[in-house]
Amino acid sequence: MTATLLPAAADPVGTSSPSSRPRRGSGRDISLLVMVVVVALLLSVIVGLPLVRILTVAFSAEGWSIVSSMLSNPVNRGILWNTVQLGVIVSLLGTAVGFVMAYAQVRLKFRGKRILHLISLMPIVSPPFAVATAAITLFGRNGMISNGVFGQQIDIYGLKGLTFVLTLSFFPVAYMNLKGMLESLDPSLDEAAANLGANKLKIFTSVTLPMLIPGIAGSVLLLFVESIADLANPLVLGGDYTVLASRAYLAVVGEYNVAGGAAYSLVLLLPALSVFLIQRYWVSRKNVVSVTGKPAGSPELITAPALRIPMLVMAVAVASLVILMYATVVFGGFVKIFGVNNDFTLDHYRFVLAGIGSDAMFTTTLLALIATPIAGLLGMLIAWLVVRKLKRTSGLMDFVGMLGLAVPGTVIGIGYAIAFNTPTVFAGRQWFPAVAGGSAILGGAMAIVMVFVARSLPTGQRAGISALQQINPAIDEAATSLGASSLTTFRTVTLPLIRPALLAGLTYAFARSMTTLSPIVFITTPQTKIMTSQILAEVDSGRFGNAFAYCAILIVIVLSFIGLLNLAMLHPSIRGIQRR
Amino acid sequence: MTATPESAMTTQPDARIESARDSLATATPGRVTLRDLRKIYGDDKTGTPAVKDIDLDIEPGEFITLLGPSGCGKTTTLRMIAGFETPTAGTIRLDDEVINKVAPNKRPMAMVFQSYALFPHMTVFDNVAYGLKLKKLPSARVTEEVETALTSMNLGPYRDRAPHQMSGGQQQRVALARALVMRPKVLLFDEPLSNLDAKLRVQMRGEIRRLQRRLGITTIFVTHDQDEAMTMSDRIVVMNVGVIEQVDTPQEIYRHPASVFVADFIGRANFLDVDVHEVRDDGAEVGVLGKRWSVGKHPAVAAGDVVTLMVRPESVRLSATDSREVGGSVGRVLSSMFYGEAIEYDIETEAGNLVVSVADPHAHETFTQGDFLDVGFEEGRAWLMPVAADTP
Ligand SMILES: Nc1ncnc2c1ncn2[C@@H]1O[C@H](COP(=O)(O)OP(=O)(O)OP(=O)(O)O)[C@@H](O)[C@H]1O
Ligand SMILES: [Mg+2]
Repeated sequence: MTATLLPAAADPVGTSSPSSRPRRGSGRDISLLVMVVVVALLLSVIVGLPLVRILTVAFSAEGWSIVSSMLSNPVNRGILWNTVQLGVIVSLLGTAVGFVMAYAQVRLKFRGKRILHLISLMPIVSPPFAVATAAITLFGRNGMISNGVFGQQIDIYGLKGLTFVLTLSFFPVAYMNLKGMLESLDPSLDEAAANLGANKLKIFTSVTLPMLIPGIAGSVLLLFVESIADLANPLVLGGDYTVLASRAYLAVVGEYNVAGGAAYSLVLLLPALSVFLIQRYWVSRKNVVSVTGKPAGSPELITAPALRIPMLVMAVAVASLVILMYATVVFGGFVKIFGVNNDFTLDHYRFVLAGIGSDAMFTTTLLALIATPIAGLLGMLIAWLVVRKLKRTSGLMDFVGMLGLAVPGTVIGIGYAIAFNTPTVFAGRQWFPAVAGGSAILGGAMAIVMVFVARSLPTGQRAGISALQQINPAIDEAATSLGASSLTTFRTVTLPLIRPALLAGLTYAFARSMTTLSPIVFITTPQTKIMTSQILAEVDSGRFGNAFAYCAILIVIVLSFIGLLNLAMLHPSIRGIQRR
Repeated sequence: MTATPESAMTTQPDARIESARDSLATATPGRVTLRDLRKIYGDDKTGTPAVKDIDLDIEPGEFITLLGPSGCGKTTTLRMIAGFETPTAGTIRLDDEVINKVAPNKRPMAMVFQSYALFPHMTVFDNVAYGLKLKKLPSARVTEEVETALTSMNLGPYRDRAPHQMSGGQQQRVALARALVMRPKVLLFDEPLSNLDAKLRVQMRGEIRRLQRRLGITTIFVTHDQDEAMTMSDRIVVMNVGVIEQVDTPQEIYRHPASVFVADFIGRANFLDVDVHEVRDDGAEVGVLGKRWSVGKHPAVAAGDVVTLMVRPESVRLSATDSREVGGSVGRVLSSMFYGEAIEYDIETEAGNLVVSVADPHAHETFTQGDFLDVGFEEGRAWLMPVAADTP
């Protein structure tokens, strides 16, 4: 050949140029190994170990006797039945409400869509009791509406009240799910059906609905898991209607019967986990809508009154209920006893902002602020390892990461109490000191941060996975080819590219950390007060005003954080275009 | 190479561009050696190999092309050299050093991707500077180097653009600058031109080839476009279902293909059934089309082998005849197609149907469908080669 080796002009990089020979000995990419090991260790500590411990206790002689009496003992059978009944009713009702809201949002023509959207998301950023407490105030025995307006003495405690409150609290999950699905539905299918002579109602029942079946099934399953896992509302509103989560709570907190708690947890864990698995690996695979890809054109908004009016009436009714609930929370914080003594007072807010409650407010916010970046980054890291780096073990890591969402909070909380209230001893050595409970280091704050991370990690992980699947892997390889290690690639290329997913992950992490209760009640300590468990205490002792003030402040904190985060992400120095 | 018309990439001959290129020249191009290289995706035992025990020696400064149909293992081979895939067996050497275990980010090679793979969140400057910053070069040096690389690709004015603000051709040049600025010992390309429109693709071919000669850098180029391979390469590696069929210069591959597959894949070929009269070391005597011909042969052809005679469409010779019957040297025109610069005939003969291409139709007598012709070929361009059992 004519390889014209021109006089190689003085190599400006110098012969020290690291590219001139392969660095020997440095071998494989160590940073990848380190990342995988660190993530695996973290996951096994924050979700693996508590789960393993709860299983060992549940399968101990004492625990197993309760597990095995689940069907034979009539009381336990009743609890199991209650749990399933509540789960089924709420999941169906919540999905129906979510569907109405999503359908109105995507397909109906009306003004005020943005507001309806925000109202539909409100329950996500609020603490679990907001709706329950407001419901008691409005619709309870001495409720302002039930008694005050209609003169009825309704017993809101029990299945009725739980259904009402849980449906209002959880329908946003179905709403989000179905809204995305409706948006990605190809409008040309509607057009094709219309072309073939179908009217709007016919299109709706013969085309739209069948296409949404997998999405609807997925929502039902997710809501089922959420509602059987819920602890806060059954504690406040359950009355005699005991479910597995509240029974487990009673066992641990009231009877000091840890084995019993573990046993009920196991019974709760099985359906929750299997339904979650079905949802994730079976229903989502059947999802025809997401497969058909990009919608071609935008759907024609529906104006036909036969469909529009009933749907809109229902949507507005739901939205009004949501507004009513939160209006109650806001007002209730500023009056002595809402409905009984409506004199204006700042006592409740003083209690939370300056009094005993401020302690909990600061601690909770601080711990959530610590947990949020950890959960956000860890979620992105897991997503990246799962999508790009791991081969055979990627399914396992994905699954373990998702456990924080799939496993009911009550179960995680009891698992934490068992695993971390005493020092971790293994093979005759103490590996780390107690991190949860009264005698723990840092007053148990570490366990709370760990729980926050475990609970809020999965949402970011999911967002990260779908974001990464949109990005050409060659971009990662280009960075590698230019000399970047795995860690450097993640930091300088992957993370900036999946910034929207990170933002979503951080937002959810903070909101979820601030509002989670079920795992917290088992590990909170007098030194480390957490707002949600303080609210529970206030509601328990009937001081609804304080609870309302707590809830309102909690919502304000969450919303401010989301606002600030969005502002910060717009700032060029964080957007990371120009890394020095 | 200096007198070539300048492409759009360098609109005018520019001394700055040329000197920038000189300063990027590679001091020590790498030598790459593959031995018994094998890759099986999935299970080592049950999977079918994507690459089957290939041997290849790539000389320092050489431009070598991996060419073959889709799925033949070109990308897999290239990615093993880059380190993105781990070989199932065999060795990869760079300058006599086995690099199988060297991580991809530690290999002094740079890759240019089909999708360009520019970092969408960085400017052109930052894209090109990325690798240098990782080397912890002082920032003044980084700036200087990046400026040189951008100048050499005539990208100076675009330094602060984001990738999505540039055309495909410009992005391609950024990708090239980003690779070259690292002064790799080996430059790897995976179908880099396939996303460009036809005209730009032809321009970039010449441009990459000129640049590669000027820099003297060892280059491995993957393509399934035979024109690309023919016009750019010092040598072509023709691959088929995971094995190397032939490694040779474009001319040799075209004129003396090693197998029916290669002859068929590169250019077009007629395959004639012939009677073999005599096989010598340097050629053979064969009978076909009513005559005895003295033709070149593949070294592997021995007396008694099943063989076929390859005749390229442009080496067939046609002339008018009075005969009115197909047989012996007489054939008949089945169809003709006029391309402007050439005319193409389909000719029925006793040895089978032949595709014939006659260049510059205005300088030759043209024939029409049904004409009877005397058919022959340039003896020196015909090539006798073995028919392997598994080739079509
Ligand atoms: N990651 C992978 N996992 C499993 N099989 C693979 C993978 N990548 C490639 N293959 C298989 O290996 C064989 C060779 O693929 P390769 O990508 O090297 O082909 P190629 O020559 O580059 O083809 P093309 O011209 O289409 O790019 C193919 O049969 C392909 O299906
Ligand atoms: Mg390929």
